[in-house]
This record gives sequence, structure tokens and C-alpha cells, in this order.
Amino acid sequence: MNTGWNGDAAVRLDGVRKEYGKGVIALDGVTLAFPRGGFTAVMGPSGSGKSTFLHCAAGLDRPTSGSVMLDGQELAGMSETKLTKLRRDRVGFIFQAFNLLPALTVEQNVTLPQQLAGAKPDRRVVEEILGRVGLSGRRKHLPGELSGGQAQRVAIARALVTRPAVVFADEPTGALDTRTAAEVLGLLRDSVRAGGQTVIMVTHDPMAASYADRVVFLADGRIADELHAPTADVVADRMIHLGAWGSPARAGA
Amino acid sequence: MLRLALRTLRLRKGGFIGTFIAVFFGALIVASCGGLMETGIRGNAEPQRLAAAPILLTGDQTFELPKQDPASLDPDDKHKSESVRLPERVRLDSTLISRIRSVPGVSDVVGEVSFPLAAVGQPALGHAWDSAALTPYALTAGAAPAAGEVVVESASGLKPGDSVEIAARGKTENFRVSGVAGAPRSISRAAVFFDAADAARLSGHPGKSDVIGVFTKPGADIEAVRESVAKAAAGATVLSGIDRGVAEFPEADSSGANLIVIAAVSGGLSVMVAMFVVASTLSLSTQQRSRELALMRAIGTTPRQLRRMVLGEALGVGLLATALAAVLGPFLGEWLFGQLVENGVVPPVLRFYQGWLPAVVGAGAAMLAVFIAAFVAGRRAGKIRPTEALAEAAVTRRWLTPMRVVLAALCFGGGTALAIVTVAVMTGPIAASTAGPAVILWALGVAMITPGVAKVMTSILQWPMRLVGGIDGRLAVLNTRAGIVRAAGAVTPIMLAVGIATANIYLQTTQQELADQAFTEDVRADAVIGSAAGGLSPDLVQRIQQVPGVAGASEFVTGNVFIEAPYDSSDDGRPAVGLTASGAGAITDTKVTQGALTALTGATVALPEVFAKDFGRGIGDTLSLKLGDGTAAEVKVVAVISQRPGFESLLLPAGLLAPHTTAGLAQQLLVRAAPDVDVATLTDRLREATAGQPVSIGDRDALVAAHAADQAVGAWVNYLMVGMIIAYTVISVANTLVMATVRRRREFGLQRLTGSTRAQVLRMAGFEGGLVAVIGIVLGTVVSAGAIVPFCLVATDSLLPMGSPLIYLAIIGIAAALALVATLIPAWAATRGPAVDAATSGSD
Repeated sequence: MNTGWNGDAAVRLDGVRKEYGKGVIALDGVTLAFPRGGFTAVMGPSGSGKSTFLHCAAGLDRPTSGSVMLDGQELAGMSETKLTKLRRDRVGFIFQAFNLLPALTVEQNVTLPQQLAGAKPDRRVVEEILGRVGLSGRRKHLPGELSGGQAQRVAIARALVTRPAVVFADEPTGALDTRTAAEVLGLLRDSVRAGGQTVIMVTHDPMAASYADRVVFLADGRIADELHAPTADVVADRMIHLGAWGSPARAGA
Repeated sequence: MLRLALRTLRLRKGGFIGTFIAVFFGALIVASCGGLMETGIRGNAEPQRLAAAPILLTGDQTFELPKQDPASLDPDDKHKSESVRLPERVRLDSTLISRIRSVPGVSDVVGEVSFPLAAVGQPALGHAWDSAALTPYALTAGAAPAAGEVVVESASGLKPGDSVEIAARGKTENFRVSGVAGAPRSISRAAVFFDAADAARLSGHPGKSDVIGVFTKPGADIEAVRESVAKAAAGATVLSGIDRGVAEFPEADSSGANLIVIAAVSGGLSVMVAMFVVASTLSLSTQQRSRELALMRAIGTTPRQLRRMVLGEALGVGLLATALAAVLGPFLGEWLFGQLVENGVVPPVLRFYQGWLPAVVGAGAAMLAVFIAAFVAGRRAGKIRPTEALAEAAVTRRWLTPMRVVLAALCFGGGTALAIVTVAVMTGPIAASTAGPAVILWALGVAMITPGVAKVMTSILQWPMRLVGGIDGRLAVLNTRAGIVRAAGAVTPIMLAVGIATANIYLQTTQQELADQAFTEDVRADAVIGSAAGGLSPDLVQRIQQVPGVAGASEFVTGNVFIEAPYDSSDDGRPAVGLTASGAGAITDTKVTQGALTALTGATVALPEVFAKDFGRGIGDTLSLKLGDGTAAEVKVVAVISQRPGFESLLLPAGLLAPHTTAGLAQQLLVRAAPDVDVATLTDRLREATAGQPVSIGDRDALVAAHAADQAVGAWVNYLMVGMIIAYTVISVANTLVMATVRRRREFGLQRLTGSTRAQVLRMAGFEGGLVAVIGIVLGTVVSAGAIVPFCLVATDSLLPMGSPLIYLAIIGIAAALALVATLIPAWAATRGPAVDAATSGSD
């Protein structure tokens, strides 16, 4: 199922398999490409392997077999330090919660990846990005002083500030109420469109998925389906079809 | 990375308080030991009575002991030797005085003798009047003493013309006070001055000086004169400046050596314990923010950067804590020194030093411990997987790294090897020497595998816990099992405290008990005559032997001698006991296997069987000895005796041993009653016979008590050390448990929301603390057994040490109480206020 396959992919997985210990197969030969400048949602019921997929695609975890190309570089065989440096330079992350270091201010959190790389953050870029996520006035605040939505917007700013090849988002609105979630997702979509960035978002929320250009469905560690220009209703319909709700959870969530 | 580390420190002070406290107290003990060490190395005492003379000469208190048998070496080989201290005072020949007088730059030379005496019952030192210039004492009334006269200090309250009764060398004489003198500074021991002939007679060593004082001509360069004097007086020790104090207080030198040992052992042990404790607080705080660290890994922090951050944080905290400890250390050091002085371990004349060098070395050692601990914690942090940031609950990682396995194997191997060596090779109390390293090895080994052992023990203990604690006990077991690494962080210090304390205290009590037994089983005295001043007159023993009801009497002199030929490498020499041949058989139970103790006269020795075998000497052979003051003596073996292994002493004639002790006389006389005479009658008769003599009569208990008092000093030092280690581990246990419990506020809140009452939560926390305590106590007991059992098998032929079981009960009681209090108080604080607030607050 060579969906979206073309020559200029930001991320490309080829026959990726991931097994955990006692023969539990989380990913069963996934081949998938993500074109540059696209916003893709990866959906699937609990245990479909979507978290494992994200870990493998982003170089946080190593597949048992298969190849992952990230921004033109093969991840297999890279040392832990090289992987880390690649993540730092080419990848942005937005997690569901606990995205920020509590000891650092908003601004310091945003510039942390650059500082880790030993680069001097460009103040102008930082200010521009904080302005884009609507947090110009909160540069000096600590994460503990922010609301959940604000914290996620800081995470978006941090993910975008290095102009990475890919931004990975793992249930970025899972801990937010509907209205705040809509704001955050709109922001994410707008930045893709404005900056030409690639976003890969893992979610189980049809409403969140409807913000993407494309939705890929995972089930039992395999790609089960794909939708373009999705709406929340169609996505929800497909999920029910896949038995996403009500089926017993399996490994690899 | 350093900036980030510092920033994290500033905001999250709470998380680092534990580490701070652990480093602070560790560094504090090390810093205070530094002061004791410097004091010991300098071994300086301010001269008092001899302060006026800029240069002092004493006998050389050391000799060179070859490290190998010179006979077995090729004569061309270089002989390595070590400098060994002679235990008794080495005196100078008075003819040296005239020789030094002709050295250029010398204006006057004065010989000095000191001997203990009692004037009107008060202890004082006797000197010749011409040595008053060394202080200088000046007459405030009367005149210098002639024969039969004395000059006393004004503090005595005596006036010229008074008659004064003075006891010295076992005799009492009457002297007339010819004058009263005063010194320009306070002198710690009262002085009585005699004319030269009386002083020489009463000192017991005419023609010899204890010290020779040298005055220089005005304007002379003291150092230059000192060097010329040293050339003229080869073999003597020539002192100037602060070093002169040793001439007046020779005990400052030997107690200085003791101080070095005390400081090195406690300091070293503290550094080691601090390393453990800091490692466990650091790994706890690293574990508690593993999500944060995983997040950093995910967004691009390399393992190396994370390691450096953890290291940076730890060193930052360590630096602050060490700096504070370096400031406060001297105060603790001085207090410890005061305690040592008060308990008679070091003389009060020893001057306390606390310079910058030991402070720097102490701080360096503390920081090194922090560095090693942080390095280990950093390695763990570097291994955190970035995917853990995405997981809802932090995963407990594998704790059993290959390094832990290797270290544990090495430590247990070492501990076992020591045990085998102890049981197979060693005899008697010497076996205790392997116990110290054994405790440390076992403790280190157990610390490496604590999480695993704790898990197994939790599984075993779950049945009693459920039985006693019901649902709360069950939850406590589950919590402990789920957070086994956290629990292990608290188990380790308890294990250390219980292990080290139990091993050290019981080793001490067992050794003491053994020494007491060995002493009392050989000595069969019914009464003891002790000296009131200076020693017993040598003719007393004959007179006592004539007293009706006395079956036998013997002088009793103790000392150390060195065996020169055949070669003996023992640098402490061998214990020797001086006895009177005619009474020796009556007052000892020593088994004589060959020869007879009655032959112990002149230059003879009774040799313990082991020595006879080791040295290949038997009856009729000769031995070359060096006596306590360095005098050589050839002695003939007249008896071979059998003694308790490890407590062997050479038996010598008292007349040979006593003159070469500092006092020059026997200090005790042991008396055995005839079979039909009871102790009370004997004591009365002895009292009659010695009326008017400066002696005291005691029973057998007095002798045992005097022996025990000698041992008490060593015991006290051991207890002080154990006390410090325990105090430190107490702090760490409290520290670790408080750290671990405070962080569980949210968990406790959730538990209350799901239906636990506050009391139930507290009960559960109490059970967890109890579980930690039980595991720590069991492991600590195992660790101490690793050291004690091999020693006891050798020394007492039993598995158990000697000493009150109450000590053990007290140790485990303290450990258990501590674990409970340190868990319950923070749990009580963490469950204050509404549960909802706690449950919805951040996990940090």
C-alpha cells in the first residue's frame, strides 16, 4: 500500500517491523511516505501501534527491521548521539502533556534545542514565533504559571523554532478541552501552511484528525486505510469501521 | 549545560536539599577529621617549664628496625628499615652537658631531670634547682635548696622553714622548705626543686638527664647554634621552636600518632559512607524527574549532555555544601579534639591546629565522593530512553547493570576471601584486623544488589505484612515492590548504619572481653599494692614476702620489648611482663611447659611456646632484646610457657624490665594469700606492714579495673567513630525517606479520593517504613556477620560475639524508629489539607 509515495518525502518508512519481547508485534511491515509540507494524522484504535509508529519514525526508538529515512538520512545504524543530534536539528516534538521543563521560562524552553546544539538563538525569530502562537507577553513566565492550552502553544513554538524538516505531535490536544484543542490545532495547521512545514500527528480524536490534509489508519500494526481532506464525521465513521471503539486493547499502545 | 544545571538548582531547591544535607554532613566530618589529622601530624605541645631555653636536647626516641631479616640478605643489598618509636623515655648522658658548653654561640647548658613525687599527698614533679632557669622560676622568698631542703611553688601554701613530707621512689622523706619560687607562666604540673645530689638520688638515674637545655648568647642565630649543637651531640634529638614541647611532654608525640590513625580511619570511612549516601540521594532525585530527563532526551539532549547536567547539578550542590562544611568543620574538629582530651585519648597540652591544608584536602575528598556518586547517577540519567517522556507513568528501568554485577561479585569475592584467610591463617585477637575491610566489602557488595535483594525480601515479607496490616499492609507491599529502586535508596543507609555499628561495637566488646579474660585467667593475685608516687621501692617485695599469711608476692611491670635476634619484624615490639622470680609462680597461673619461673633472675626470659617455635629457640638459648628505652640486653631462655593465643607476653625479671621503663620502678606488686588466709586479713596485714609507705592496697578487682581503664581509651575512640558514622547515616536515612515521601503527595491524595481515610494512608506509609527498616536491618545484620563471624570463629570458637545483646537491640531499635518517624512525619504533612488539592497538583 504505497500511499503518498514520491521522490521528495520528509519521512519514509520501508517495511518497518517492531517486536517487543515475547513475540508481541507492534508494527508489522509498515511502508509509508510523508511528503514535505503535508499535515498527516495517523489514527488507530488502542493497540494499533500508532505510538510505536511515531517512536520509530522520529528516531526515538529503533525498529526491529526495515528502514526509516528522515530528511534524506537513513536512521538504522546511527549511534544514539547522532540520532539525538538529528532530532535536535531536523525534528520538532509536541507531546500530549509534560512538554516543558518546569525550571525554564517560556523563552528558555523555546530556545532550549538550539542552546543544546550550542547555537545562539536568534532573538528575532524567537519573538516572531512567540508572537505567532500568541504568547509574546509571557516570555518570562514559568510553565507552572501557564494554562494547558498555553503550555501546548509553547510546545508548538519550541517545535517550530529550529525550522525542522518534520514536526511530530503525539496526541497534542489529548489533555485539552474542545475549544482550546481547536485553537491549538488551528495554530498547528496554520504554521504548516505558512512555513511549509511537515507535520505528523498521532491521535485518536476524529475532530483533531479533521485538521490534517490526510489521515492514515493503523490497525494491528498495519496500514488499514487512508483518507484525503478528511472531515471529523468521515474519520469517526472509518474508526468505527475499524472497530476502534469497543474492541479489546492490544499491545503496543 | 552548566547554566541549565544551575538554573534547575535555583528553581528546584527542594529536590536537591537531600543531596545538600548528605554532602554537608559528610564533608563536615571529613573537614573536622582534617584538623585532628593536622594536629596529630604536627604533634606540637607548647613548652611550659622548659620554655626559656631556645634549644632543647632529648634522647633519640626512635630506632631503625630492618624491614627484612638482615641475616637472610646479601650484605651488599641495601637494607630497608623503618623508624620505630621506643615506648620508654631515652635519657641523655650528663657528660654531654660539658661538650655542648664549648659549642660556639652557646652561653649556658643546663641538664634537667623530672621524677614523679607526692608532696603532702599532692602529686608533683621533682627537679634539681639549677634547672629552674629553664622556666625560669625565680625565688619569691627564702633561698636555694641545700641538701635535705626543697624550694616549692607559692601555690603550695608552704613557707620557708616549714617541714614537708615527700614521697618519691617508694619512700617517704622529710624535707625543709628553704624557699618559695614562682614561674612567669602557668605550668600544668606542680614542681618541687631539690639540690643537685638529692635530685640525682631521687630520680633513680644519677649521671643521666631527661632533657638538656641550651641557652644562646645574645644575638646568636638560634638555627645555626642548633645545627652546631646537633653536630656536637650526635645521637641526641635537638629541638628548637615549637618542637621543644615534645621534650617536656613526650606523650604529645605518641598521642599525635594515635590522632593520625583516628582521623584517617574516621575520615576515610566518612568519605566512603558519604559516597554511598550521595549516590543514593542523587539516584533518587534523578529517578524522580526521569520524565523531565526523558523529555530533554527527546527534544535533542545527547546522553553526554544529560550526564554533564546531572554532574553539574551535583557538583554545584556539592560545592555549596562543602564550602559551608569547610567553614563549620573547624568547630566540630575542635569540639572532637576537646572530647578526645576529656577522655584521656590525647593529653591537654597538645596544641590543636586546623590549617587550610587539611580543609582543602577534606573538601577535595568530599567533592571527589560527590563526583563519583554523580558520575554513577549521570550514567543512569544518560541511559534514560526518550520514549519515556511519552509514557504516562515513568517506567522503572532495569537496575541490574553489568557494572553492578561485576562490583558485587568482586566485593563478595573479597569478603569471602578475607573470611577464609581469617579462619585459616589467623589466631587470636589479630583476626580482628580483617574485620574492618570485611564490613566495607560486604556492605559495598550488598549495596550493589540492594534493589534485587529488597524485592525478594518484600516478596517473603508480604505474608506477615498482609496478616498484620490487612489492606494497608498489602498496599505497602505493592508500593514497595513497584518502587523498589526508591525503597532501596532508603534501605542502603539503614543497612550501612546497622552493619557498621553492629560490627564495630561487637568487635570492640569481644576484643575487650577477650583481653580481660586473658589478663584475669593468668593473674592469681588476692591483693595489689600500688604506688602513690613514682613507683615501688625495689626492696618492698622482699619485705612483703616475709609478712605472715603471704604465700607469694611479685613485682608486676608491664612494657614492650623488641626482639633483635633472632629477627622479628613486629614494629610494636612484643608485650613483656616483669616478675619477681621467687613470687612469680604464686601470682600467675601461666602454664610452664619447660624450665621454671623461679629461674627468672638476672638476664633471663620465659618465652611463650609460639615464639619459641617461631624463633627456633629453646631452654638455654639466648635472645637479643632491645628494652623499652633502647638498651640492648642478652637474655637466656629459662622457661617456655603456654599462653592464650594472641595474648602472648615475654616474662622477664622485674629487675631487668623495670629500670628501663620511664618510671624506673615497678608500679604494682601482686600478693597471693596463703590458703588459710582470707583476703580481708591479708589486706589488713599488708596495710600494717606498709604503714608510712607511699603505697595503696587494693584487691584483685582494683587490678582488673586498672587493666580495663587502659583498654577503655581504645574503646572510646571506636565508639566515637561509630557514633559519627551512625549520626551521619541517621541523617541520610531521614533525608532519603523524607525526600521519597514528600514527592508522593499526589499519590496519597488520589488514594484518599478513592476511599482511603487519612489514617489508612498513614498506616500504609508506616508499614512501608517498617518494611524498609526490616529489610535494612536484616541486610545490615548479614553485613556485620560477614565480618564478625570469621573473627569470632578464630578468637572465641563460637559464632556469636561477646557483649550485651542489648547493644544490638538498641541499634535495630534506633534504625526502626528512625525509618518509621522519617516516613510518618512527611506522610502526615503530605496528607494535610483536602485530598482533591493534593491529587490535582502536579506530580512535581
